[in-house]
Amino acid sequence: MNQRDRNVRTEDGVDGRITVRPTLPRTFAAMLRDTWREFLDAKVLYLLLLAIALLFGAALTGRIEPQPGGRQYLDIAARAMAADLDGIDIATQSMGDVAGRLNGSVYAISAAEPIDADLPEGRWTATLTRTFIPLVGAPESGEEVTARFGKIADGQLWTITEIRETGTDWARKIGSQTWDMTVAPGRDLRLLWPHRFTLFGDSIELAGTKGAPLGLEVLILQKLLATGLGGTILLLVSVAVTAAFVPNMVRKGTLELLLVRPIPRWQLLVFKYVGALLLVAGLLGILVLAVWLITGILADVWSPGVLLALPSLLVFFALLLSVSVLTGVITRSVISAMLVTVAYWAILFIAGQMNNVAVESRIREANVGKLRPTSIAETIRGRQPRREEGFAPGRRPFYQTTIGRITEGVYAVLPHTEDLDNLVDRQLMRDFAVAGPFRALMESGSFSWEKGLGLTLLHAFAYLGIACTIFSRRDP
Amino acid sequence: MVVSVKQLEKHYGPNRALGGVSLDVEPATLFGLLGQNGAGKTTLIKILLGLVAPTAGEATLLGQPVGTFSARREVGYLPEDHRLPEYHTSTSLLDLYGALQGIPRRERRRRAAELLDRLGLAGREKLRIRGYSKGMKQRLGLAQALLHAPRVLFLDEPTDGVDPVGRKEIRDLLLEERRRGVTVFINSHLLGEVEQLCDRVAILRKGKLMVTGTVADLTRQKASWLVAFDREVPGSFRFPGATLAAVEGGDRLRVSLDPAEGSPHLPQAEGPEAIDRFLAAAGAAGLRLRHLERERATLEDLYLAIADGGGTP
Repeated sequence: MNQRDRNVRTEDGVDGRITVRPTLPRTFAAMLRDTWREFLDAKVLYLLLLAIALLFGAALTGRIEPQPGGRQYLDIAARAMAADLDGIDIATQSMGDVAGRLNGSVYAISAAEPIDADLPEGRWTATLTRTFIPLVGAPESGEEVTARFGKIADGQLWTITEIRETGTDWARKIGSQTWDMTVAPGRDLRLLWPHRFTLFGDSIELAGTKGAPLGLEVLILQKLLATGLGGTILLLVSVAVTAAFVPNMVRKGTLELLLVRPIPRWQLLVFKYVGALLLVAGLLGILVLAVWLITGILADVWSPGVLLALPSLLVFFALLLSVSVLTGVITRSVISAMLVTVAYWAILFIAGQMNNVAVESRIREANVGKLRPTSIAETIRGRQPRREEGFAPGRRPFYQTTIGRITEGVYAVLPHTEDLDNLVDRQLMRDFAVAGPFRALMESGSFSWEKGLGLTLLHAFAYLGIACTIFSRRDP
Repeated sequence: MVVSVKQLEKHYGPNRALGGVSLDVEPATLFGLLGQNGAGKTTLIKILLGLVAPTAGEATLLGQPVGTFSARREVGYLPEDHRLPEYHTSTSLLDLYGALQGIPRRERRRRAAELLDRLGLAGREKLRIRGYSKGMKQRLGLAQALLHAPRVLFLDEPTDGVDPVGRKEIRDLLLEERRRGVTVFINSHLLGEVEQLCDRVAILRKGKLMVTGTVADLTRQKASWLVAFDREVPGSFRFPGATLAAVEGGDRLRVSLDPAEGSPHLPQAEGPEAIDRFLAAAGAAGLRLRHLERERATLEDLYLAIADGGGTP
């Protein structure tokens, strides 16, 4: 059958006949308009836009203000000079990993004074001292110090604008150097600087009186609003609205009017699915963009990592929608479609959480007696590494218990949607120079977003395929 | 033949919906399909539309096997108890169905406006179907069936819920479609309407085709007359071969001249001579004629006889 024959012709026999054939784009566009109309009819769009506007309004009453604290970052920069940290990832590697890079010197700030103000934009005068073993290490020039000071891996905390060596010659000979210098804030200092975060004037304080690093605050805000609470609520609303689409379409008396058209049945279902998906993509786009704008306006941080939440949430929703479509085709009931979808979501969540416990028990068992991963960033801040403790006598690791085995077995056949969320988290942590054991764990290679994406799409296509098969074969 | 059906059977599990139906329908016919609920009318139509696959037998539509896309492009369908999606307006719904039918945008807009006007729905384009009355929904249902100018129309209860004026309009519209050469199948319980409108009818009972023929043939005149005289007929009056019975609610008498009367779907018209002889005899008895009318078998008589299981032709 030639689907491209679009000629309008009148034939003999019956006057004024229209003989045309449906084309794929025309059918698709029509189903898309139909879905859009059905969605608008649910009146949810206006509520969602209102909710996002309220969120915007609330967020824009917020203020994020830096707190004094420059001295500690000068100290961190000085201490980090003890090793050559250029080009390594401070988040994943521990001090043990860089032992070979230690240069045998100890650096410290002996005096420091802000020139402008103790703020992330302010310059400082500081005195840097270096102690080294004379025969092993050689004296350093001001240029060498300028090249390394404030630079940790890819991050730039400080840059030296002026430097002058002040120590005496004999002190150099016994392994002690002193410089007076003027430093300006580097690119990444602001993200690590403690900021106070208040909402509605001064009435709500979100990060404690002393504040938290700006990057961490932005990260938590973006996670909460995009992939966390905000995204979850939006997905729930989307599940509720789209659950009605297929049952409404396959209702007796409505279905026949669609099935008599000269198009394959699967097109009706697949185009409805894609239409719903595009709609939700639009909603998620609005949310994610709003979150990006809100945090940008509030904190003047414009890293685009949060935009990754859009594809991540959308792929997850593609899976939920395929479950909803399949249930809708089988049961023809809106309530069933909604409940089964939410139940499926809950199963994924619970299985994912239990699987995390199993994975952690495996890692823990393998690392008993070894140092726990503590990132360099943490170490620089003074956290002491701890050793992994063994299991209590008679206790098996979770993955060896019956429930643990079942968990891993069930999880193996489920789509690994957690990994899509992890992808966003990892990007956010990189964007905002946030370090810690969580990031270390996440970057340790125990998750693969490619696998998560592949398995999720595979499941979605399988459910949709089954739905199409049932839909095409069943008598209306 | 527009529709040709041979030994069509459809079973739903152990239930037989159709048991060997054969039927031929010529072009430009208004064809009435009658039968009680569950007789198999809707199943037959759904097979012809390609919505349901037959268990056995053959069916062709316009010379092609039913259910092919090219056959489906030629049919319009108004299902029984149809539920048009309530979030649409008349124009957006016709636009959707027109697009699925493959009609280009400009053409379907033109057709939709024309049909809405023809069916008396013009001026309500902004109203959602949710706010429609039953009659309006029925008219819009007809509009979608006619939208792509099909050669065959299958209408299940097309005037259901429509007021009398609207019914007349719909009947006129269907007659006009037939004049254009369209074949129209009508499922209806309104026997009077079918009798008025259809050229041919078929009556189904329990999945079997009981009778098919032209309406004129099936409602031939009966061999009974309604008469009224100027005074009461004396009990002593007798006429050989005639049975007299009082008709309820009036002064009329039913004069049956056919001894085989009782099978109304097989009427046997007598010549006019019998009634002439009867009237002459009545005149001789001193009775003066005030009213004379020949009775006809209605479709309802025929239908009730078959649907009740009274007899097979």
